[in-house]
Amino acid sequence: MVFGLLCVAVWIPLDTDSGLVEQVRRRVSVGDALAPMLAACLVLLGGILTAVFLPDTTDTHHAVPGAVSFGAKMLGVLVIGFLIALYAGPIAVAVYNIAQAEPLEYRLVSASLPWKYIGFGLGGTFAIAGCIAIAEGRLHWRAILIGLVAVLGMVVVFDLPFDDLLLPPNGDY
Amino acid sequence: MTSILSSLCMAAALAAAAATANASDWIPPGPIKMLIGFHAGGGADTQARFIAEELEKRHGWAVIPKQVTGKGGLNLAAALKSAPADGTVIGIAVTETFGYNMAAAPNAGMTPTDFTGLTTTAGFQMGVVSLREKGWSTIEDAFAEAEGGAQLRFGVMSPRLADIAYLLGKANGVAFNIVEVRGGRAVLDGVNAGDLDLGFMAGIQSNGVAAGDLVNLASALSEPLKQTPEAPTFADLGMSFNSDGQFVFVAPAGLPGDVQKALASAISDVVSDPETEAGQLIAKAFGGPVVVTGDALQAQMAADYVAARELLLAASQ
Amino acid sequence: MDVWSYIWAGMLAVFAGPEALAVFDIGISITLVMVIFGFLLGIVVGAIPGLGGPTAMAIALPILISVFGFAPDALLPVMGCLIGIMKGATIGGAVPAILFNTPGTPDSYMTTLDGYPMAQRGQAKKALRIAHFSSASGDTFSDVVLIVCAPFLALLVEAHLDLPEKTALLILSLSFVAAAVGGSVGKGLIATGLGLLAASVGTGEDFYPRLSLGAAALNRGFPIATSVLGVLIVGGVFHQMTQIAADRMRQSVPTPIPQETNGRLTWADRRALMPVIARSAVIGTVIGALPGIGSTLAASIGYTTAKARYAMRKGIPEFGQGAPQGVAATEAANSSVSGANMIPVLSLGIPGNTAAVFLILAAESIGGFAPGPSVFRFTTDSVNPELVIAFGLFTCMFVANLLNWTIGGIFMRSLGFLVRVPKQRLLPVVLVVTLTAVYVQDPRMEVIWFTLGFGVLGFGMRLVSMSPLPFVIAFILGGRLEDSARQAFAATGGDPWFLLTHPLAAAFVALSVLIVFIGVRSGRA
Repeated sequence: MVFGLLCVAVWIPLDTDSGLVEQVRRRVSVGDALAPMLAACLVLLGGILTAVFLPDTTDTHHAVPGAVSFGAKMLGVLVIGFLIALYAGPIAVAVYNIAQAEPLEYRLVSASLPWKYIGFGLGGTFAIAGCIAIAEGRLHWRAILIGLVAVLGMVVVFDLPFDDLLLPPNGDY
Repeated sequence: MTSILSSLCMAAALAAAAATANASDWIPPGPIKMLIGFHAGGGADTQARFIAEELEKRHGWAVIPKQVTGKGGLNLAAALKSAPADGTVIGIAVTETFGYNMAAAPNAGMTPTDFTGLTTTAGFQMGVVSLREKGWSTIEDAFAEAEGGAQLRFGVMSPRLADIAYLLGKANGVAFNIVEVRGGRAVLDGVNAGDLDLGFMAGIQSNGVAAGDLVNLASALSEPLKQTPEAPTFADLGMSFNSDGQFVFVAPAGLPGDVQKALASAISDVVSDPETEAGQLIAKAFGGPVVVTGDALQAQMAADYVAARELLLAASQ
Repeated sequence: MDVWSYIWAGMLAVFAGPEALAVFDIGISITLVMVIFGFLLGIVVGAIPGLGGPTAMAIALPILISVFGFAPDALLPVMGCLIGIMKGATIGGAVPAILFNTPGTPDSYMTTLDGYPMAQRGQAKKALRIAHFSSASGDTFSDVVLIVCAPFLALLVEAHLDLPEKTALLILSLSFVAAAVGGSVGKGLIATGLGLLAASVGTGEDFYPRLSLGAAALNRGFPIATSVLGVLIVGGVFHQMTQIAADRMRQSVPTPIPQETNGRLTWADRRALMPVIARSAVIGTVIGALPGIGSTLAASIGYTTAKARYAMRKGIPEFGQGAPQGVAATEAANSSVSGANMIPVLSLGIPGNTAAVFLILAAESIGGFAPGPSVFRFTTDSVNPELVIAFGLFTCMFVANLLNWTIGGIFMRSLGFLVRVPKQRLLPVVLVVTLTAVYVQDPRMEVIWFTLGFGVLGFGMRLVSMSPLPFVIAFILGGRLEDSARQAFAATGGDPWFLLTHPLAAAFVALSVLIVFIGVRSGRA
C-alpha cells in the first residue's frame, strides 16, 4: 500500500517524460505516465482491500519459521557466486599479466581457453555448492562435486555446440 | 566456428595485426559483437544474422549477434556509443535512429557524430497501403472519402512516420486518426483485421499486393515503388518530407580508417552478392541492396539529422 | 488455400518437415522427434517431486532456441517439444503420488488421496493404469475441443471486436485472473498491479525510458524471461528450499510396499470409469479454457464433484480410502486442461496458466508467430504461414496424445525410483541452470540481477500466500493492454470514454467490475 502511494506520488511523475495526457500533432494523446499510474492505483486498491476489508488471519499458519533469513542466505550465496563469475576471469588475466611482457585484455581473450571458463566455473560451482550447503546445514565434498558436474554439463550443453552463445560473464566484456 | 579454431585465429590475429594494416586483410583483435536493434525473428533480424554467418564463413572472424532492442534504436546507439572503437563492437539499426530519433530525444545526449557509419545494406519499399476491398486505387480516393466526413485510421510504426502521416493529411486538408503500433507486421495485421483503414508498410505488403488483397495507395519515398511504379510519390502529393531510410551498420566514433574500410567492404560485399542468403533475403524483402559507405554515408547521416529537426518543427505546428 | 489445405499443410509441416534421422529409409521429421523427446522428458520431470512441467520448459527453452535458431521453421520443433513436456509432466506427476504419497506436481495432490491407499492395498499397478487411462482420455477430449473451438473463437473476435473492445477484453481477462487465482481479490489485485508496473519500466512511446531511474541498465526494461523465470522458477525454488530446510529433521525415506503382480485394467473396469472420466474431462476443459485458473483447480473440482456423486454408492471403496474413481476423476480433470488452455492462447494471445506462459515466451523469443486472432486468417490466394503453424501445433498436440496412449503408460510405470532424487541437491542446480539459461539468451549481467530480484519478489509473494500467476500474466499482457488502449484512444479520435461508449466494450468492463466485486463479497463471507 505504501509502495503504491509512493509510486503515484513520487516515482512516476519524476521519472517519465510525458504527462498523463499530451497534446501531440494537435490531438490529445495518451502520455507515458498514464499506464504506470493506473497500475500503481491498482496496487493501492488491492492494498486497501486486503488491509481494510479482508483481514486474512490464515496467513501466519503457512509461514515457515526462519524463511526470510534462509531466503536471504540463498540470495547472498547466489549474488556472491555470480560476482565471482563476473570478476574472476579479469582478475586471472591481471595476475597472468604480471609475468608477461605483452599484457592481455580479458575482453579480447574472453572467447578463448582457458579464460572463458574461469569465471563461470568458479562462480557456478560456488553458487550450487553454497546453496546445497545452506539447505543441508553443512558443506559436504559431494556438494562441490555436484556443482562441478553441473557446471561441466552446462558448458557441454550451451557452449560447446554453439558459437553464438555466451556463458556468464563473457557477454559483459 | 568452433572455439578452438577461433582461439587459433586469434593468436594469428595478434601476430598479424602489428605487421599489416591493409583494409582487405584486417583481422579483428577479438570476437566481434554485432548488436541488432530489431526484435528476433523479423526480416531485419534475419538479415543481420545471415550477414554475421557469411562474415564468419568468408573471413574466419568470430561474429556474435546480440539483440539490443527498444526506443527506436536509441538503446542500441547508447550501448554502442560507450563500446570500444576497435572494430570488435558494431551494430545494425535504421538510419531513422541516427536522424529523427536522436533529434527528437535531445535528453539522450547523442548525435550522429558519436558514431562511425560503416555501410547501408538496403532501403525500405515504404508505401501507404490499404485493403483492396476499400475500393481505393490511389491515396486521393482516401482523401476524398475523408473529406466526405469519414474518420480514417492511419497506422504508423514510429514517431517519425506519425509526423509524416500528420503532415500528409495536413497538406491535403484531412485530419487522420493516427494510430501508432509496434512494427510493420502490426500495421499489416491491423489493416487486415479492419482495425486500421490504411497505414505505412515497409515491404511487408509485397505478397498481399501481388495477390491482389492489398493496394499500394502511394509511395512514401522520394521515388516510385518498384512493385507499383504508378502509385503517386509524396512529392506528387505536395509533401516536402518523405520516409526514405535504410538499414545501416555503425560503429562507435573514432574507429580507425582502415578498420572502417575493412568492415564496410566486408559487409557490403556480402549484401551485394545475390548468391548469399543475406543477398537473397534483401532482394526478396527489401527490393535489392542499397550500399552507401564512407564519407557519403557520414554526410547522409548528418543531413538526416538536420532534416529531422525541420520535420519535428513542421509537425509541431 | 481453403481450410482443408491449411490443415493438410499444418500436418505436413510436422510430419514432412526437416528430417532428423531416417529409419529404414523413412525420414522422421525433427518436429516429431522433439515432441517425443519432450513428452518423455515431461514424464520424467513430472515424476521427480519438486520439479514440474514449468521448470523443465524454462530450462529447455533457451537450449531449444539455440539449437533451432530464430527462423520461423524453428517454431514447430521448439513449441512441439514444449507441448510434449506439458503433457508428459501431467501424467508423470501421478507416479510418486500413487507410489509414495508424494505428489510430483501440484496437480497430482488429489491423486494421492485415493492412489496411495490403493498402493497400500497392493494395487499400485492398477492405480497407475487407471491414472494413465483417465489422463489420456481427458487429454484427447480436450484436444478435440481446442481444434474445434479455437479457430471459430478467433474468427468471431476478429470479425466483431474493434480496438476498444479488444482493450476491454484484456481488462476483463486480467480482472478475472486477479479475482480467481489465489483466493484473495485484494492480493490478486496487488499482484496484477505490480505486474503491470514492472511491465511499464523502460517501455512506453517516449524516447525517454520511463521509470528507469536514469539507470542505463533499466533502459530496455525487464526482459520477459527475467520476470517469468524469476517469479515462477527462482521464487518457487527458494520457497521449496525453505521448506526442505524446515523439514530436514523429520524427513522420512519412503519405503516400497509389496504389490500384486497382476494390475490389469479390464474393459469392464474401463467402462465403469467412463462416466467419471467424462465428467472430469468436461470440467477440466471448461476450466482450462478460462484464463488464469489452471490444472490444480481443475483437479480439485473434478475430484470433489466425483466424490459428491459417488458418496452414496455401495460396492466401491469410499473416496479417500482408495477408490479407483477418485484417481480417475483427478487425472482426467488435470489432463484435460492442457488442450483447452491453448484456446485463449491461440485465439486471443492470452495465456491461461504457466504452461501457456512458456509457449507465449517461446513464440515471442523466436518471432514470426504472434499468437492472437490474426493467426486464423484463412487467406485464399496467398498462404498465411502463421495459420500453417497453428495447425502444425494442433498436429503436435495429437501426436503427443497418441504417445500418451501408446508408450506413455509403459514409460511412466517404470519411473518409481525417481522419488529418491534428493531435492535439496537437485534444486540448487535447477536454480543456477535457470539463471545461466536467462543469461545465455540475453548475455549481460543485469538479467541475472533482474531474475534474482524477481525471484525474491516471487518468494515474498509465496510467503504471504499471494499467487504469483496474476503477476506473470499481467506482466505479459501489460504492454499489449497499454498499446491497445493507446491505439483505441487514437483510433476513436481521442474519445476518453471509448471503453464505455462502445456497447460490447462497456459490457466487458462492467463484467470485470462485477467479477472483482463478487470476489470481494465472497472473500468476506
